[in-house]
Amino acid sequence: MYKYSDTDKKIITSRVKQFENQVKRRLEGKLTEEEFKPLRLMNGLYLQLHAYMLRVAIPYGELSSKQLRKIAFIADKYDRGYGHFTTRQNIQFNWPKLLDVPEILRELSSVEMHAIQTSGNCIRNISSDHLAGLTLNEIEDPRPWCEIIRKWSTFHPEFSFLPRKFKIAVIGCTEDRAAMLVHDIGLRIVERKNQVGFEVFVGGGQGRTPIIAKRIRAFLPKKDILNYLEAILTTYNQEGRRDNIYKARIKILVKELGIEKFKSLVEENFSKLSNKELEIDDKNIEEIFGFFRLPPLKSNTNQIPFKKNQEYQNWIKQNVIPHKIQGYSIVQISLKAPKKPPGDATSNQMIALAEISEKFSFSEIRVTHEQNLVLPHVSNKELFNLWNRLKIENLATSNLGLITDTICCPGMDYCALATARSIPISQKISKHFDNYLQQKEIGDLKIKISGCINACGHHHVGNIGILGLDRKGQEFYQITLGGSAKEDATIGEIVGPSFSENNLIEAIEKILNTYKKHKRNKSEDFLTVFRRIGIKEFKKDLYDNFTKKV
Amino acid sequence: MIILQKKYEYKNHYKQIKEQDFLKQNIRNGSILSISQWRKTKHIIQDQKIDVAVEFSSNDCSLSDHDEISKAAMIQINFETFKDGRPFTFAKMLRRKHNFKGELRAAGHILPDQFVFLIRCGFDSVEIKEEDKDIWLELLEIDEGLYYQP
Amino acid sequence: MVKKLQGETFLLSANELKSGKVVFFTLKGWSSSSVEAIKIKVDEINKYEEISAKDEKKCIIISPKFVELDEEGNIKTLRDKIRNSGITIKI
Repeated sequence: MYKYSDTDKKIITSRVKQFENQVKRRLEGKLTEEEFKPLRLMNGLYLQLHAYMLRVAIPYGELSSKQLRKIAFIADKYDRGYGHFTTRQNIQFNWPKLLDVPEILRELSSVEMHAIQTSGNCIRNISSDHLAGLTLNEIEDPRPWCEIIRKWSTFHPEFSFLPRKFKIAVIGCTEDRAAMLVHDIGLRIVERKNQVGFEVFVGGGQGRTPIIAKRIRAFLPKKDILNYLEAILTTYNQEGRRDNIYKARIKILVKELGIEKFKSLVEENFSKLSNKELEIDDKNIEEIFGFFRLPPLKSNTNQIPFKKNQEYQNWIKQNVIPHKIQGYSIVQISLKAPKKPPGDATSNQMIALAEISEKFSFSEIRVTHEQNLVLPHVSNKELFNLWNRLKIENLATSNLGLITDTICCPGMDYCALATARSIPISQKISKHFDNYLQQKEIGDLKIKISGCINACGHHHVGNIGILGLDRKGQEFYQITLGGSAKEDATIGEIVGPSFSENNLIEAIEKILNTYKKHKRNKSEDFLTVFRRIGIKEFKKDLYDNFTKKV
Repeated sequence: MIILQKKYEYKNHYKQIKEQDFLKQNIRNGSILSISQWRKTKHIIQDQKIDVAVEFSSNDCSLSDHDEISKAAMIQINFETFKDGRPFTFAKMLRRKHNFKGELRAAGHILPDQFVFLIRCGFDSVEIKEEDKDIWLELLEIDEGLYYQP
Repeated sequence: MVKKLQGETFLLSANELKSGKVVFFTLKGWSSSSVEAIKIKVDEINKYEEISAKDEKKCIIISPKFVELDEEGNIKTLRDKIRNSGITIKI
């Protein structure tokens, strides 16, 4: 894992002091709320429906046990004993007091954490593949590049007041587990003629105008990455719209100019403004890569223990995947236990997980964009012990990638922007599809739920997407089908008129029946069937003879 | 209002010319011109070697190579709102693309929290209220030298 | 703040600056309970807008808003109900 240098430490500490100063000036009335708001947002502090909300960065989703313990401590001391993991691999506290926030930031800085640029119109936390460095088909580990970009983007003097927020994701292989193509900039590490570099995508995003990112460069040499990012950001900062908040993201600029015109502006900035000092030499790269080496794992022939316990076997099948070093496994921990808000973990669970990771996974924990956690390096022979331990903490739900493994935003229970609740919908789904075998029969299926058009719950890219709407004071839910956040990224299509909360489960059942009817063989998954038969069949089955419940 | 150039305080020596008084003969050392006024008079100004400032609004930071902006003595950018980040990029362009070597000044709605950002993008000075001086200097000290970018 | 208002009767609400918690305007000032909140008629809005603007300036509250009541005097919208009585799910 990355370790802070003296410079990192100084920067983070001075930032705490600066924020403390800003809070003081706000309370004294020397900063108006209008002035304070962008400053607090740049420190991850929102005002939500009931209280402030603090979003803490987990750079590229990587946590140490020590950091997780500190998060649990903060949840207990300054919040209500839980936290919410987000789709950008961060964690949110829902109830902090403004007066406590400088102290919370000081606590975080003691374990090399912060809340810098987790909100506001600046470059946000860099997100990545939660399996980075763990799989065989990876061209290169993306995390060192995330760290290089994190440094460059932190307190960037030129790009801290952009037209709108700016999200970057980096992946290191063909498989996309980071929803890279719905980011403002997506980077994929690629190899060409024995040279490793980046394939660069720009202008993706969700919200009210969902767009899949366009490729702007097929190959960019590694050393140029920061200069190229700088050229894109320069173009966006100058040309991006500031007259309308809904048209201010880079995706709208790329759309309005067209990718070719946008590319020519970027390439011109790249050739004219590139700065030698921003080039990354091999020595830099080597130094940063040094932080991300695997722990001392010895390849061995240990098998996964066999036990006559169906629950354990289901968990192995569903949540455990092989590590690139033989004899080890990657254990995925579902934060979608029945009745629990997706992505939430209590402080007790976090403390237990910190201890578990120390015992079983070299003190390392990862956060996934699908709001789950990962123990990256578990010895095969420990899997049964680990499962028993996780089960005690209600952290052994076997549903990874299945219908109850929903992505879900906080919705109107917490969020000031939401138009409907989303957590109760997710809970209804997990209650209705409680049975593992039933879920397994439905197969791989991603349901993603947002409580408003801003799409924090990624509904546009759900195989089944659910969007909460307000219709004359009533919560209604619009369904989209066929979305994907993977390497075949697709925006889902709206199936038709929306459903009340009481009709929603029946609607999902009908959609699943259409799928089952057309499924050619056991392994043909929902998305494949949808792509083959199109939305028409689903529409017909869904709306003909629909019995409306009031 | 005072001018801060890093931690040093100066009096402002520049002055706007009211639009109705804008006659070529009224331009003198220390006059502040709009970009359209500069375009109309830049040859005379250069012939007579007068030191003038050219003023931009954060809303309209546009320039062409024909403007010969590097010949101006000072450029002032007025922030309509501190949230508008365009002047930061414009400052970089003035320094790196338009080869402007004179004084670059920020004025208007800017926050002391932006002081170091301004300096690092190529600004030399800021125009602020005299009573705010202490907080500007305090934040300069907290932040100075602490950054990742070259 | 007034422009979008519909309805006849309202409560004045806001968040406390220091803590962020939801508060309502009562005869005794700001309170975290809506029970004693003053019921404001639509033609009194201006007066209460001034009060909230003053308290905003004094750095006591932020984000003031008028909460619409229905004919029975209950909070009307689901969002405002949740804002008043808390999250609807179990943690």
